[in-house]
Amino acid sequence: MTALPALNMGPAANAFRKEVRDWLTKHWTPEKQAAHLRKPFKDRGYDNEFSKLMGRDGWIGVGWPKEFGGQGRSASEQIAFVTEVANSGAPAHAHNTSESIVAQALFLHGTKEQQDQWLPAIRNGECFFALGYSEPEAGSDLAALRTRAVRDGDHWVVNGQKLWSTGGDKADYMWLAVRTDPEAKKHAGISVLMVDLHSPGVTIRPSMALYGKTFSAQFYDNVRVPAKNMVGAVNNGWKVITDALAAERVMIGATRMAGLERAFDHLTEYLKTAVVGGKALKNDPVIRDRIGALAADLEVARQFQIRNARLVEQSKVPIHEAAMGKVFTSELQERLGQAALDILGSGGLLSEDSASAPVGEMEQLLRHSIMGMIGGGTNEIQRNVIAQRGLELPR
Amino acid sequence: MSSSKSHQTEGVSDAERGLLRDSVRELLLKRWPPGHAVERSGNAEAIAALWRDLAGQGLASLGADPAEAGLREILLVFEELGRASCPAPLLGAVGANLALAGQHSNAMRAMLEDLHQGKAMVALALGAFDGDGAAGQVETRGEMLSGKISFVEGAQTITHFVILTGRPAGVAVVASDAPGLKIQITPGLAVPPFSELTFDDTPATRLDLSPKALADIALVTRLACAGRALGAAERAFELAVDNAKIRKQFGQLIGQFQAVQHKLANCLISLDGARLALEAAAEARDNDNPDWHVFAASALAFAGPALRAVSIETHRALGAIGYAEEHEAPRHFRRVHADLARFGGVRGARAVLADFTLGPAA
Repeated sequence: MTALPALNMGPAANAFRKEVRDWLTKHWTPEKQAAHLRKPFKDRGYDNEFSKLMGRDGWIGVGWPKEFGGQGRSASEQIAFVTEVANSGAPAHAHNTSESIVAQALFLHGTKEQQDQWLPAIRNGECFFALGYSEPEAGSDLAALRTRAVRDGDHWVVNGQKLWSTGGDKADYMWLAVRTDPEAKKHAGISVLMVDLHSPGVTIRPSMALYGKTFSAQFYDNVRVPAKNMVGAVNNGWKVITDALAAERVMIGATRMAGLERAFDHLTEYLKTAVVGGKALKNDPVIRDRIGALAADLEVARQFQIRNARLVEQSKVPIHEAAMGKVFTSELQERLGQAALDILGSGGLLSEDSASAPVGEMEQLLRHSIMGMIGGGTNEIQRNVIAQRGLELPR
Repeated sequence: MSSSKSHQTEGVSDAERGLLRDSVRELLLKRWPPGHAVERSGNAEAIAALWRDLAGQGLASLGADPAEAGLREILLVFEELGRASCPAPLLGAVGANLALAGQHSNAMRAMLEDLHQGKAMVALALGAFDGDGAAGQVETRGEMLSGKISFVEGAQTITHFVILTGRPAGVAVVASDAPGLKIQITPGLAVPPFSELTFDDTPATRLDLSPKALADIALVTRLACAGRALGAAERAFELAVDNAKIRKQFGQLIGQFQAVQHKLANCLISLDGARLALEAAAEARDNDNPDWHVFAASALAFAGPALRAVSIETHRALGAIGYAEEHEAPRHFRRVHADLARFGGVRGARAVLADFTLGPAA
């Protein structure tokens, strides 16, 4: 049951949605769900074995071109897929980065050998990447990165430090942006390497982020990476990174959107019957007005999502449109989290691990919203993109 | 239109919608140019002449045949009226067409024929279906009306009123010069101003319609006004963006300041969000989606605060340049606020969404 009317994304996406739902009902069983919930919160969402199961049955790479072993599904179908997986709570974080970002880059910039070696492993749910982009002096200004790679025979030798890599402590490989030409203009001297995190010289230091899961700093100390693991030409890494991110933003938005709808559904389901202090919360006019406003915002967020999918299906690359969806949806998550605290009061402070929590995920949703507003390019940078690319305002 | 009739718009493609938009924009630029919009807004002769031109383009029959033009096309035309600050009485025409098309009364058919030829002009009063209880309503005794209805637009220039009635549910058509009808202009933010209509045993031609059909007409009216507000907000925003690209202060273009860029980026998010939500609502109605009123409420609940914020922010980006009434921006400010506060406004739309998501309040 969803609080908002179902979106009609077309017959193909609607039929595909049912197919996905049926598979999840069969394989994401109540027993598996209960076992998953017994894990510490920081590990939830990650399950390598479930990733392998999804890979076995063809559910990794549903949007990949068929020539690479994917299902060649449209953007609308992919959104339907992502929504169903998120709604079910099935753990798909482990393979997300590999499937969406690494594979996209390999389609466009990988050699035949790289495609043959890496894509089947990713598709089978056996190859887990994290992103090594940010550094102490390169956050929003990613092109200022300084982690250095120097060629030495058949290898690149990497030295430097990366920060804030989501899932970095759980991954096997890092999709690493490195500087290969320090003399070139900053966007021109970057390359991308696929680095085995078990290599000598790699130190990973996880830290707990506000949302309850880890992100990692990594230190690279004379780490030798086979030259065949460079994706794209030397010093062409900026294009490799941005090409992969364009398509990815749409799917990131779909995942976030599905999570918001799920949280809103749980909140409204609770409010339908909740009685606090002898009063039914659903009769409170302030709560009703707040819920009405949030429902409207959720609908608009869905529409931004659909527009981005349509643009991708028309072979267009949504740049400022994707930025709009990202800004709106991530800030809506913050509003939803804040509203839940206002509505639920003290009970809203309790996490999903508290037995007496009225709607347990709301405080976590609020903590998580910060990540949405700063991760993948801060919302301030996104607003620059909207102004300069969408409105053509001067730099 | 009866409530059971399909709203399916057959054969209108996106390309044809684009052509419709272009042709309406071109016509309005010629016949209602921005430089004369303020001065002509109170000129009944000018409005009547424009109405004949619009009727000549077939726009006076919008809403009469859903197979030719659905809600998407209606909203598109209202957006253009908003852009042009044009007070053409299209709201009344759409309301009349939705309510009366297909009816067999000779008087109603004659009135519609005159309307479509540009000879008649209609103002719409939603009365019991207004969404704002302060709008009032009329009592019906046989073919006579009594009562008071406020916030009626275009009353100074039209030939007929179409009034939605609650008990019995239906529509009443009243000539603007009917005995017992008093029209009082009520100045305020809206330009042209609203009027208050007082009926004292005023003769009317009546027609029964289901409450569902009447609620449908009222909701189309609300969305049309939101579409008009979108057009006005978007036009003012374009002026602000253009200004930011040429206006220099402190030795640089103001569009280079991040404070201005972010303000305008927020406006674009609001404008696009409102447009997408309105289009989704219109498409849902055109496709006979049984939940279309929920999509409509979402669009109205979002567009209200979002477009009003755009209107405020564009004025801040324009600065004092846009504050003079002879500039285009003030008329758009008035239009946006007047259209979005009507018919129950944001509060009413959120209440519909609360009913849908939580169930009705006890």
